[in-house]
Amino acid sequence: MAGFASRLDSAAPTRRTLLKAAAATLMAAPLPLRAARSAEGEVIYATWGGSWAEAMRKAWFEPFTQQTGIKVRTIDGPDYGKIRAMVKANNTEWDIAEVNPDFQWIGPREGLVEKLDFSVIPTDQLIRGENLLTDYSLPEAFWTRVIAYNTKKFPGDNHPHNFAEFWDTAKFPGKRVMYAKANGGALEAALLADGVPADKLYPLDVERALKKLDKIKDDVLWYETNAQAVQFLQDERGVLGLVADGRAKFIQEKGAPIAIEYNQSQLTWTSYVVIRGAPNKANAMKLLAFMTSLDGQKAIGMAYTYGLVTPKAYDLLPPGRAEQLSNGPQQQGKTVLMNEKWWGENLEKTQEKMDAWRLT
Amino acid sequence: MAVGGAAIGPGDRGRARAHPDPDRRRLTRTGLLGLPALAFVAIFLLYPLALLIETSFHAKSGEWSFEQYARIATTPVYGLILWKTAWVAGLVTLIDLLVGYPFAVALTRARGAWRLVLLAAVLMPFWTNLLVRTYGWIVVLYPSGLINTLLLHLGLIADPIELVQNTAGVLIGMAQIMLPYTVLPIAAQIEKMDRRLLQAARSLGASAPRTFWHVYLPLTLPGVFAGALVTLVLSLGFFVIPALLGGRRDVLIAQLIDFNLTKVLNWEFAAALGTILLVVTMGLFVAAQRWFRLDTLWTEAR
Repeated sequence: MAGFASRLDSAAPTRRTLLKAAAATLMAAPLPLRAARSAEGEVIYATWGGSWAEAMRKAWFEPFTQQTGIKVRTIDGPDYGKIRAMVKANNTEWDIAEVNPDFQWIGPREGLVEKLDFSVIPTDQLIRGENLLTDYSLPEAFWTRVIAYNTKKFPGDNHPHNFAEFWDTAKFPGKRVMYAKANGGALEAALLADGVPADKLYPLDVERALKKLDKIKDDVLWYETNAQAVQFLQDERGVLGLVADGRAKFIQEKGAPIAIEYNQSQLTWTSYVVIRGAPNKANAMKLLAFMTSLDGQKAIGMAYTYGLVTPKAYDLLPPGRAEQLSNGPQQQGKTVLMNEKWWGENLEKTQEKMDAWRLT
Repeated sequence: MAVGGAAIGPGDRGRARAHPDPDRRRLTRTGLLGLPALAFVAIFLLYPLALLIETSFHAKSGEWSFEQYARIATTPVYGLILWKTAWVAGLVTLIDLLVGYPFAVALTRARGAWRLVLLAAVLMPFWTNLLVRTYGWIVVLYPSGLINTLLLHLGLIADPIELVQNTAGVLIGMAQIMLPYTVLPIAAQIEKMDRRLLQAARSLGASAPRTFWHVYLPLTLPGVFAGALVTLVLSLGFFVIPALLGGRRDVLIAQLIDFNLTKVLNWEFAAALGTILLVVTMGLFVAAQRWFRLDTLWTEAR
């Protein structure tokens, strides 16, 4: 190429060199065209990964790229620590991160997130509810923690229907499977079992909850990862559990004798945030609008079983599909909404109390 | 690293007295050779550690403060977690010494294929992925797992015993992974032992047990202390195994640090916990060097 260019410089333009130059231009043409495309840019999306990331790619990212030319690149593991490290180093590499809802408050408090541009992201179709939408975050998807039980051990209707019965080790003997971190639903379950009404749960009476947990402490298998919960229930080492609905369904599909009790399902969600200093902030807002649109919600409702954030999108699903999603019609009136704002503000103190309880 | 650096000292100084000049030159050359390593340590270890310590003396708001340490000192749960961590690490070290010492003896006595087999057995944990290995333990330790099935068949137990999701599981999993760190220094020490000392003891009429207690064991002690120290120090920072094999009571300091780093973003508090771990570790090294003369491990037998 360089030799060719220098010949163009040195010689007077002849028909031949002009032809050559034209040919060179044609050959080079795809390059500038490609450059123009990538000028549309990209969005870097930090995700928990796995089958969820695959579903998002099909339902959201590929159609979005087709429509706008903006590519979506995913990174696995939206760890809060990593987010803080990159913002502190002034070296933000991600645009959007999917996070637990406590980050809706932790993020702004630590100065790690951007305000969302609601002139680009319409919110009129979005589900209403306390704490679901903030200046810095959008709800991404709903999921629930449900009572899952072994149908061999507890056949027919002879199974725990609520947390009071979940606590009844005489009537329902066997190990219970629960998440070991304070914000994993065990404290809420304890208070519900102790008779606290669902709308009076917060602020959590942690001491009372731990006292209630004392009653079953030797009957609990604590899990630190969802994979462990799956294993405990699949191997029938645990006969009862408070686990993510998606995991319970996964065990069912694997053929293990597991059924779900939807009563008192603990409803929570995941959120989108845009990281402070995001390199493709404008594109990120466009992608957020795309994902939370009715079409985007319908598409993800077909591809995965998380609950949708625009209620109307449930009506766009084929018959029978809505019941397979978290927070779908099968769960209406049976859910207890977690107060994630309270958790965003109280996780550290509460975990300290729970650790003390675990060690004594 | 600190021990390795100090180790060059006494041995070389001993000889330096006899031939001062050539040896001093050699020492300087050795020092120069060590420069890149020193620079590496300074940039990638000392500087981050200094940052860690500095961070631990800040309040969440940013100003200088002792509040992180005050919180650790005044909240009983942190003392409990530190105690639990030290207790688990100490037990793991003890188990590894009891299992590892005979193993090291066997390893140095074995010849040919046997030696390879034993070496492979002890190094196996290094060659497998941590998670795979940990889940492997679950399969073995489960109530319906290998060990319980075997014991039930042999009629040694009537009901499955709980070997996992409790501290027993943590100890078993950690002891296996740490075993090479205990075995290899001991085996190295045995290998370089002057066997003529054993012959001398026997020829002077000492019984076999007496020879072991008074000659063999003392000669291997530097290896024992080095192995124990490395095992103890590394055991203080375990994270995955307590989380997966442990139960309600198995909250160790590494889990606490991870929670503060990645879940609630209290880096100042995490730094204080890390600094305490660092101080304990350095204290162990200093004590070991002082009382157990660790440096002799790196010099030839005298």
